[in-house]
Amino acid sequence: MNALCKGLCGAVALGLTACSGPKPIDPHRQVGPHPFLPDIHQYLMPPMNVPKISPWGRAKPTVAPGLQIQALATGLKNPRSLYVLPNGDVLVAETDGPKAPVNRPKEIIMNLVEKQAHSATKAGNRILLIRMGPDGRAAAPPTVFIDHLHSPFGMVLVGSDFYVADTDAVLKFPYQTGQTSITAPGWKLTDLPGGPIDHHWTKSLTASPDGTKLYVGVGSNSNITENGLPAEFERACVWEIDRATGAHRLYATGLRNPNGLQFEPTTHVLWAVVNERDELGPDLVPDYMTSVKDGAFYGWPYSYYGQHLDPRVMPQRPDLVAKAIAPDYALSSHVAPLGMVFNTGANLPAAYRGGAFVGEHGSWDRSVLNGYKVVYIPFTDGRPSGTPQDVVTGFLENEEKVHGRPVGLALDATGGLLIADDVGNTVWRVTAASAAK
Amino acid sequence: MRHGNPRSTAAIGGRPIHPMLVPIPIVCFVGTWVTDVVYWRTATIMWADMSAWLLTIGLVVSILVVLAGLIDFLGDPRIRALRSAWIHGFGNAIVIVLSIVNAFVHSRDAYTSVVPTGLILSSIVVIILLVTGWNGWTMVYRHGVGVRPEDAP
Repeated sequence: MNALCKGLCGAVALGLTACSGPKPIDPHRQVGPHPFLPDIHQYLMPPMNVPKISPWGRAKPTVAPGLQIQALATGLKNPRSLYVLPNGDVLVAETDGPKAPVNRPKEIIMNLVEKQAHSATKAGNRILLIRMGPDGRAAAPPTVFIDHLHSPFGMVLVGSDFYVADTDAVLKFPYQTGQTSITAPGWKLTDLPGGPIDHHWTKSLTASPDGTKLYVGVGSNSNITENGLPAEFERACVWEIDRATGAHRLYATGLRNPNGLQFEPTTHVLWAVVNERDELGPDLVPDYMTSVKDGAFYGWPYSYYGQHLDPRVMPQRPDLVAKAIAPDYALSSHVAPLGMVFNTGANLPAAYRGGAFVGEHGSWDRSVLNGYKVVYIPFTDGRPSGTPQDVVTGFLENEEKVHGRPVGLALDATGGLLIADDVGNTVWRVTAASAAK
Repeated sequence: MRHGNPRSTAAIGGRPIHPMLVPIPIVCFVGTWVTDVVYWRTATIMWADMSAWLLTIGLVVSILVVLAGLIDFLGDPRIRALRSAWIHGFGNAIVIVLSIVNAFVHSRDAYTSVVPTGLILSSIVVIILLVTGWNGWTMVYRHGVGVRPEDAP
């Protein structure tokens, strides 16, 4: 009987290993406008590969030749997004998602893995202000700009109105240039889809170039509708909100988790980085950056990269799948792009002019890690041209140890690239090697 | 020489533990099949969630059920001499292995967590449970396993 037991256990273990999936391919095959898309592989047990957190200590990320990097602020509590005010003050949202509910036994395990992948520090749920000194360093330690927010992420200033996208609402605050803290209560412009389930909780925010409209990235409420289709109401899309009235419409849909909303500076077209679905294999589905077209449907949940059907969604919608368009530029699978900024500054070397920096938070469900870096995608005539180049790496010490994970990006007043690192609890500043001391 | 019925070793005050607990996983695994069928017909995600919980609870309680059953099986050679005891044990071992695999299948997201693999597995499990249940009842009601003899003092 004992032997039988051992045999059965062995068989189960073997079965599980056999089903842990195909070997990951080279991510370079999945960047650009036409990524290689392998066959779907549905796991019995998906790989959960999260490196252990090890503090930076004296170490720093590695930058490409011609660049240098310094910490602008350390010891923060989950800094995830950045915004630079016109006077050069840098805003940092210290933020965390709301507590995830447990609807299935799987989620108990998922929540544990999630915890391991993120800093143990509890987020401040507030926005900090860093005043920049003339030497490109912080003139003073960060001070509290706005406190008592609810998982804030997106920030944008239009005139004297400062908008914050909490996970469940867009709030408006009065702001005067030079102000270092806002104590006036926020005025709610619009509710956003929040809890009780709030799977993708980061609400990215930007304003149209003329300032009349706000755009909010609203992520899906699940990986692939496992919380039910009703939970996806007005999610997985970009909202367009009228600043005057607060009325909203869905600007583009089928975008699983759109972040880093930005207007391309030469064409004034809205762009986003999007986190695609998990658990179809190590190389599906590639995350991407794309121009966001008014009225377009980008596939989620029914399909990806155009008409590639996802068998996990029922009922299916052939009418919507037929309409689905492919995104512009793949970034490879599971890199988790969460931040994007177009380089309009003059600080960084000429090779980095006009294109976009993307912050890749890094994979958790791929046997070979992917992402964990900041890349640069060159643009020509408002479109990506060429392959992504590594700009900031070294967030991973090796496959088992991680010092930090890049999230939100911003350009400071002098054109330096700022990176929010929510595991290293640091804001990094990248400048041209010759420009700064 | 032993007298009377085959004895249950894992018992409390002469009441065998195995039959006290075994209804829990049986109900859970049959329930999984029911909620799988309802999910397959409705695609309402609540039913798939139900299946995942039922499978998990069934498997956790099965640990105790298997322990009690194995102790009884090893505790009296007269039980091991019964063909129905072997069928019951082997069959339920298969039930547990299939249900472990099924729990992983049910950990997938949305439709393919149930259709078709999950539903096929939970259906096979219910069929095997009918056979192992029948043999379990044979052990108790025909061979008196764990039953106190009428002439006992």
